[in-house]
Amino acid sequence: MANLPEEIFFSTISELNAKLRSREISCVELTRAFCDRFERLGPRYNAITLSLREAAIRQAKDVDWDLKHNRTRGPLQGIPFGVKDLLSVAGHPTTWGAKPYAGQVFPYNATVIEKLRKARAILIGKLSMVELAGGPYYRFASASLTGPGLNPWDRSRWSGGSSSGSGAAVAAGLVTFAIGSETSGSIITPSAYCGITGLRPTYGLVSRYGAMALSWTLDKLGPMCRSAEDCGLVLQAIAGSDVNDPSSAGKSFHYIPKFFRKLSDLRCAYAPVDFEEWTEPSAREAFRDALNILRDLGLRLHETSLPPLPYGLATSTIISAEAAAIFEPLIKSGKVNELADQKQIAGLKAALEIKAKDYLKAMRIRSQVQQAFRTLFMDVDVLIAPALPGPATKVTEPLDRRSTRPAPKARGLRELVPAGNLAGLPALSLPCGFAEGLPVALQLVARPFNESTLLAIGAEFQRRTDFHRRRPS
Amino acid sequence: MKVTRRKALILASAGAPALAQKPVSNPSGSPDEEVRRAREQVARAAEALEEYELPMSTEPAFVFKAT
Repeated sequence: MANLPEEIFFSTISELNAKLRSREISCVELTRAFCDRFERLGPRYNAITLSLREAAIRQAKDVDWDLKHNRTRGPLQGIPFGVKDLLSVAGHPTTWGAKPYAGQVFPYNATVIEKLRKARAILIGKLSMVELAGGPYYRFASASLTGPGLNPWDRSRWSGGSSSGSGAAVAAGLVTFAIGSETSGSIITPSAYCGITGLRPTYGLVSRYGAMALSWTLDKLGPMCRSAEDCGLVLQAIAGSDVNDPSSAGKSFHYIPKFFRKLSDLRCAYAPVDFEEWTEPSAREAFRDALNILRDLGLRLHETSLPPLPYGLATSTIISAEAAAIFEPLIKSGKVNELADQKQIAGLKAALEIKAKDYLKAMRIRSQVQQAFRTLFMDVDVLIAPALPGPATKVTEPLDRRSTRPAPKARGLRELVPAGNLAGLPALSLPCGFAEGLPVALQLVARPFNESTLLAIGAEFQRRTDFHRRRPS
Repeated sequence: MKVTRRKALILASAGAPALAQKPVSNPSGSPDEEVRRAREQVARAAEALEEYELPMSTEPAFVFKAT
């Protein structure tokens, strides 16, 4: 077993890339060490579905050859990563986290896998997920072929969903970065619960070719990393047009910090009610402090709230209707009963009965949501809210359990996850402190294709804090 | 597809902790009962959507590519 210092597994992309370029460590040595750790600790967190050691070491040898001949291929060259098991890797199982698809193998690579391969990043394995990325909904964290995602900070807590393995694997130092997916909350939630930095890109910026579809009009793929800078470097590699994906926006992304806008020029908005009433009491101090740090960075913070629209209702109707259409063969064949979560099974069956007029009504509401954000972003550059009200829930806790705390009277921004997804907006989950010994995070949301603005704030916040540097013991 | 012993081991061991960590008892009843509840939820959502008034001119979102 390769014997590298523990810090290596928690290094950022730039740090690892510098060590590889200076030949302080070889790529084969690094890859072997990561594969050992991935295989040894992955099952501890139910975080992995497949090790790709042999292919990874072959790729690592190529990287070492390139480096020996001074052929540098960018910041991701030689960096170990993992992907959510809804992305196809040619010739290997792609389970979608669900028993009915456990033996599924595609003959081609997803576009993001191809792009990362071209950037010479090293795919060391596939990561677990909530079955069918959550489907319409699910009741328990155990809704997965690999069991509940366990949080590296405390294994009695959930790592979040549906990109459960991606969150846990980055937090536990099994990979340097991971690719997750979000339909409504599946990058933001595990990133926040696991204390890592996750970026949900603008809808259409990253190709979904080769990824499982849950909702054609809402699905996005994005990076889950150690830092905002790492998210920028990975997004740069995976963004771009793709003729194989009809949703592709035909835009690329370049991570160039020197062209970031000055933070003091940005107009940011938040809702005090989110921080003072919606959040759990144990997390309020951390969120309050984080807001003060943002002020100290020079951000101008104004108060705002979302207009009163039925964000959750529209989102759940759209996801349910599209998921039922996508998985109709699974439902009709009866194999849906092999899923782990009874609520998801029932939800998929019932979703077949959603009427066209209801789906279209949800889509008409979505038009209003899009318009509402266009209006809101005339006066504001970035919206800031807690990503979730508190730290990770217990693994055994039903996820549909109602909160015992009264809902705040004011609306605030607490529905920013479904609202932002309906409008296809980019979001950054930024670790901002701890509560009950577990990470909590802010979410920052910007105009479409303004990922650079989010990353600028994230990078500056992380220069002043060390929350993203802390790691589970 | 070739499944190596290592791959088989990883796949098998990944599921093992799940067996040891069962969730609290499912608060719902039988699968049929669960489906009945899910159908009720679909019906409630349909009612809520019906009650939500929109100007007749509001068209569905056709463009998902952000602008």
